[in-house]
Amino acid sequence: MIKMKENKIITQSEFQLLPVTQEVRDFVTESGIKNGVVFVITSHTTSGITVNENLDCLYVDIEEMLERLIATNYPYAHSHFLPTYGATGGNAPGHLKSMLCGNHCVFPIKDGVIQCGFAQDIYFAEFDGPQMRKYFIQIQGE
Amino acid sequence: MVIDMHVHPGFYEAISEDQKETEFRKKAMGWDLMSKFPVELTRTQMEFAGVDKLVLLPLDLTTQMKGWVVTNEEVRQMMDIAPDLFYGFASVDPYREDALEVLDYAFKELKLMGLKLNPSKQAFYPSDPMMDKIYKKCIEYNKPIMFHAGMSWEPDCLMKYSKPLNFEEVAVKYPELRFCLAHFGWPWIYDTTALVLKYPNVYTDTSMLYMDSPEIFLNEVLKKQLGELWIDHNIHNKVMFGSNNPRFRTARIKRGLESIDFRPATKEKILGGNALKFLGLGE
Repeated sequence: MIKMKENKIITQSEFQLLPVTQEVRDFVTESGIKNGVVFVITSHTTSGITVNENLDCLYVDIEEMLERLIATNYPYAHSHFLPTYGATGGNAPGHLKSMLCGNHCVFPIKDGVIQCGFAQDIYFAEFDGPQMRKYFIQIQGE
Repeated sequence: MVIDMHVHPGFYEAISEDQKETEFRKKAMGWDLMSKFPVELTRTQMEFAGVDKLVLLPLDLTTQMKGWVVTNEEVRQMMDIAPDLFYGFASVDPYREDALEVLDYAFKELKLMGLKLNPSKQAFYPSDPMMDKIYKKCIEYNKPIMFHAGMSWEPDCLMKYSKPLNFEEVAVKYPELRFCLAHFGWPWIYDTTALVLKYPNVYTDTSMLYMDSPEIFLNEVLKKQLGELWIDHNIHNKVMFGSNNPRFRTARIKRGLESIDFRPATKEKILGGNALKFLGLGE
């Protein structure tokens, strides 16, 4: 059996880690699926899904590490006028951070419960906000 | 107060219900990969950017394309939905026989705050005698004009109509008419600077089509191609922050401007003080 849900959010800043663990837990319960896997997948190329511990200090470290690796202000090749868009590519850092982060995560479901470790929280990661965003929760199992 | 003087509300959800109309706007303006969004997102983006007001610009293309890229009434609608976020301008196709009636209605009934004209897209020369009645109407209501100037990315229009020196006769003939040469008249930035320097009624905005990043482009144009102190020492009272949203994000253009080594007082004027004066809301 496969069940899927689509969630829409408005992110609040250019970089944001938005915890979505509770939404995923709730959908696992609601789905009625007892054994299987749950995927959380972003619908965009300048955002990601990541798993980490929900601590303010780590939030800062993740943001600062990504900024060190992929500076906001740098002569990116993507930063040029794109005639087919009618706009200039201003979000190269978002694309690159998204690549590092990855677009999804997966967790097992056992006896109807998502098997998250104690410190594991699921985040929607915004790298090009604020924007209106969409992510999917898909459950496969029985 | 921080004011983005140059915003085209082509994808605001409340005025984008008709998909055909949205497609018309995209085709007319050369916009793509953009879709409608709610006013809550605009509010969030403004809070993130530290911007207090957006000036919404419609465009009447009745003669050239038999339609509008956002009507005057739709601008009024957005102002009513979020009066704390938006100032609104009117537009009129100067070839319309009822152009003055459109303007009377826009200024008197809709209470719009200025007029947006695009000589390239609307295919007229600013000094065409046909324009006199429009300029006089704006003076009658003390409403400024936002003229498109410089390069036009939009399809089916010519840049020749919007070269900055085309506006000099208007500046001379109507010294009491405040107007802005948008986009710094790029690539004719020296012509724009000369007009802004010479004529007290001529302003410009920063909504240039950047080709690298806002930081690189705005520093290059405003600090290197123009002399380092030209804006700080000469035209600090005449340059206004404009983004050309949705083509370019308000937050990014503001970030680029804030990266420039201007005097703090100059930055404050560019980001909002000069706009208040232009709009007739401040000294």
